[in-house]
Amino acid sequence: MKNLLFRSAFLAALAAAPVFTSCSDDNDTPTPDDDNEQITTVRYELTPVNGGSTLTAQYRDVDGDGGAAPVISGLTLAANTTYTGKIVLLDETKTPAEDISAEVKQEADEHLLVFTPTGVNLTVTRTDKDKNNLEVGLETRLQTAAASATAGTLRVALRHQPGTKNGTATPGDTDVEVDFPVVVK
Amino acid sequence: MFFCAPGHSRGRCAGLGLVAALLSVLPRLLWAQAPAPACALLLSGRVQDHESRGALAGATVVVLETRQATQTEPDGHYHLDHLCPGTYHVQVSFVGFAAEVVEVRLTAAAYRDFRLHPDAVALKGAVVNGQRAAAPTTQATATLTEKDLQQTRGQTLGEALQKVNGVTALQTGPGIFKPMIHGLHSNRVTILNNGVRQEGQQWGQEHGPEIDPFLASQLTVVKGAASVRYGSDAIGGVVLVQPRPLRDSVGTGAELNLVGMSNNGLGAASGLVEGNLRRLPALSWRAQGTVRKAGTMRAPGYYLRNSGFEEGNFSGSLGWRQPTYGVEVFYSQFNTRIGILPAAHVGNQQDFLLAVARNRPLETSGFTYTIERAYQQVQHQVFKVSGFVKTGNAGRLSTTVAQQLDGRDEYDKYRPRNDNRAALNRPELSYTNRTTTAELLWEHRPWHRFTGSVGVAGTYQFNRYPDGSRQFIPFYTNYTGGMFWLEQWQQGKWLLEGGLRLDRRDLQVKRATRTGGVFGVAASRFQYTTPAASLGAVYDATAHLTLRLASGLTRRAPAANERFSDGVHNAQYELGYDLVPGNDPAVPETALNLGLTATFHDNPRLNGELTVYQTRILNFLYQSPILPPVVSIRGVLASWQFRQTNATLRGLDVSGSYVLGPQWQLGGKVAVVRGLDTSQDEWLIFMPADRAELSLRYNLMNRAGRRLQNSYVQALGTGVARQTRVPRNYAARDYREPPAGYGLLSLEAGTTLYWGRLPLELSVAGSNLLNQRYRDYLNRYRYFADEMGRNLTLRLRLRLPLELSHARPTTTP
Repeated sequence: MKNLLFRSAFLAALAAAPVFTSCSDDNDTPTPDDDNEQITTVRYELTPVNGGSTLTAQYRDVDGDGGAAPVISGLTLAANTTYTGKIVLLDETKTPAEDISAEVKQEADEHLLVFTPTGVNLTVTRTDKDKNNLEVGLETRLQTAAASATAGTLRVALRHQPGTKNGTATPGDTDVEVDFPVVVK
Repeated sequence: MFFCAPGHSRGRCAGLGLVAALLSVLPRLLWAQAPAPACALLLSGRVQDHESRGALAGATVVVLETRQATQTEPDGHYHLDHLCPGTYHVQVSFVGFAAEVVEVRLTAAAYRDFRLHPDAVALKGAVVNGQRAAAPTTQATATLTEKDLQQTRGQTLGEALQKVNGVTALQTGPGIFKPMIHGLHSNRVTILNNGVRQEGQQWGQEHGPEIDPFLASQLTVVKGAASVRYGSDAIGGVVLVQPRPLRDSVGTGAELNLVGMSNNGLGAASGLVEGNLRRLPALSWRAQGTVRKAGTMRAPGYYLRNSGFEEGNFSGSLGWRQPTYGVEVFYSQFNTRIGILPAAHVGNQQDFLLAVARNRPLETSGFTYTIERAYQQVQHQVFKVSGFVKTGNAGRLSTTVAQQLDGRDEYDKYRPRNDNRAALNRPELSYTNRTTTAELLWEHRPWHRFTGSVGVAGTYQFNRYPDGSRQFIPFYTNYTGGMFWLEQWQQGKWLLEGGLRLDRRDLQVKRATRTGGVFGVAASRFQYTTPAASLGAVYDATAHLTLRLASGLTRRAPAANERFSDGVHNAQYELGYDLVPGNDPAVPETALNLGLTATFHDNPRLNGELTVYQTRILNFLYQSPILPPVVSIRGVLASWQFRQTNATLRGLDVSGSYVLGPQWQLGGKVAVVRGLDTSQDEWLIFMPADRAELSLRYNLMNRAGRRLQNSYVQALGTGVARQTRVPRNYAARDYREPPAGYGLLSLEAGTTLYWGRLPLELSVAGSNLLNQRYRDYLNRYRYFADEMGRNLTLRLRLRLPLELSHARPTTTP
């Protein structure tokens, strides 16, 4: 009965509805936010220079921010070895998955990848350059030193620096920042 | 001094006394020189219609000599007390009757009746239509009049409301102020904008009310629950934004307000034109518009980057009013764009902690009016139709039907990386909220000593976001329906009020999920029935002391945002109660309010008000930081979630004024709130710190014929203590300790310049004169930046009577 009362009141108001700019989004269920750019997956693929199988570290959070925790897999590297490294960034909320690393490559002069090892004996060198001859970091060389008993981490950060890139990590904002557990043995 | 009466300054009193003495008391000088009894004589009586002998309720009785005035009660009685012995001229007037002035000699308490003669001419001349005050009377209520508001012109609504003792604001930089009454805000404070319940996206702490404050000629704040009348969202209180009633006398008038501020280069202009047609006196109209633009704000020592904002609003109303019925149509549009501080817009926790640790933001800038990315764009439209019918013997029936459309787009600091997407320049968050509200109210005519009203109210609201927007608040559709009954009983010095309300809420939510990367929609539906009850009393203990007691019991169903907010928004992650792993759905809050107010009024020197209150809220829903913070691909994010606990808020508001001399006035205010989480036995987070204010005002003497009138100078000191009553182990609860207390000094001078017969009101105000560096606990920017430094504001108001009809040329001979 109350519902009926509502309706009659609403009818009067709805009569006035055309006065308002109509909403283009009267859809009744949410749809995937395809136009919104996300990064769900970060992969660091390492291939030994002297041959051998490719190792992959991965951070994957397909349900986006919040929700289920991300799935992170680390690396077990050989001591005193040189690897060729490649960063792959994906948006797996889209079908097919969108390759964000290609976007980063296209706008290399606005991006910088920063690699920070902690507690492990390894160095990462960026081997690719943007049009301003500043390093990018999608392609790298990783050199391990002596084995260490304990595991450490390798932090990979993507800095977005439109108009402010100067080769250092300071300007801009962080688009990606993930920690991979790493063991060198 | 002989005629000194309460409520009047000594100078005027003495002057009036002298004149009156010469005119009338002189022959009785001998008598008057006898020891004068105390000025405590009572003059009372009854005002009647001479023809019908019916009582005249609401007739005005004025003692011309002392300017004491009163209105007759429903039975026609009037009382005037604190009169000194002597002879007075008493004027009695009522619409439609010829006013009478009668000489009354008082030596002891006297009873005097008046019988007025109907006056047909007076009826034709002017009809004064009383505007009923909608505010309930048992709660502590504060009103900012047009004069008070004049001192806040150029500020946002939330900023202006801080003039009311006990009201603070949740602030986000210089442009966003969200009113907080006695420590409660958002879903617990109802704002009625011109009779329409403001419904938009009021959930966010950084969503200010989308209302043009220039629209209001009066702001009333009900401090305490008024949930029976206004619904369960009024647990904390109600803000009534009231425009001046439409013009009811023939003619056209205009008003122009101009404001300029030195600190952020703010310029505001607001104009209003209104009229009442000679040929159609029932028809009144008004058009109003405001523009406001501010550039970069300056904190002491630096500019706060991207802190500018701009606003453009307009409204129009059309009214048709007859004695027995009336209709009004109102439309308003509010548009604003507000820059977000880049320091507040950080990618991850580390950036955030670095930004928080800095004494001043890394990125500062020069002065500019340009608003860069990371901004909010908000539009709010209101369309309202209201009407009333006086149903003869039955009472008065009124209705308000309104539709509101609220659009909010939030743009992140950086465009999408993909150039095609960037070219679309779409907001990262875009929400549309449409609300229809309707209310039907019947006020029955006084019956014995009862007056009251019965009403039904309904709300239909839906919230949507378009493709491409990030989810933050899910799709929801909300139906609320309620009915209430409020009754007042008045006898002598007592007024009792009781009310009951029942609300039904049906909330349907559709939330996008991405469990395991697969897109899905989770639908849920909740139905609640929530009652509310209130009981209060007003007791006029003496002519100068009024006591009010208000109590209320309210159940409030949780809103969609409290349950289901989920996502990143201005680089902060927020999570609703229901989505916290392990939580059952949020349950309704139960609030028990108790408030006692003593008002000491109409005294010649000392006046004041004291309010003590306690609000007990079971299952109190509030937001606080999540620890450890949520991990996202950008690292860890500053994160917030809703929690539910049992809370007790209590506090007091004290305000007073003291007339030091004929031209000097001292004022003071103190507001204290204590919020306790009784489940955890600790203080609640984000409660306003103790604050006090002291002001001294000097009014220059008005001299007839001078160009400058009503001139004044006022100094104001504000002190806010450090908030020390915070949860235990605070470093693990919030990102920065509460800031230090602060004291601010401001000065204001104003005058009215008569330009012929046109009054031009001018004022200059300086705030934070010592250019103090300070931060406020309730400002979200306090993590990153200081508050506004020294600021000078120039305000100008001009009121013009425009007689357009006179300007019309005669074309036919």
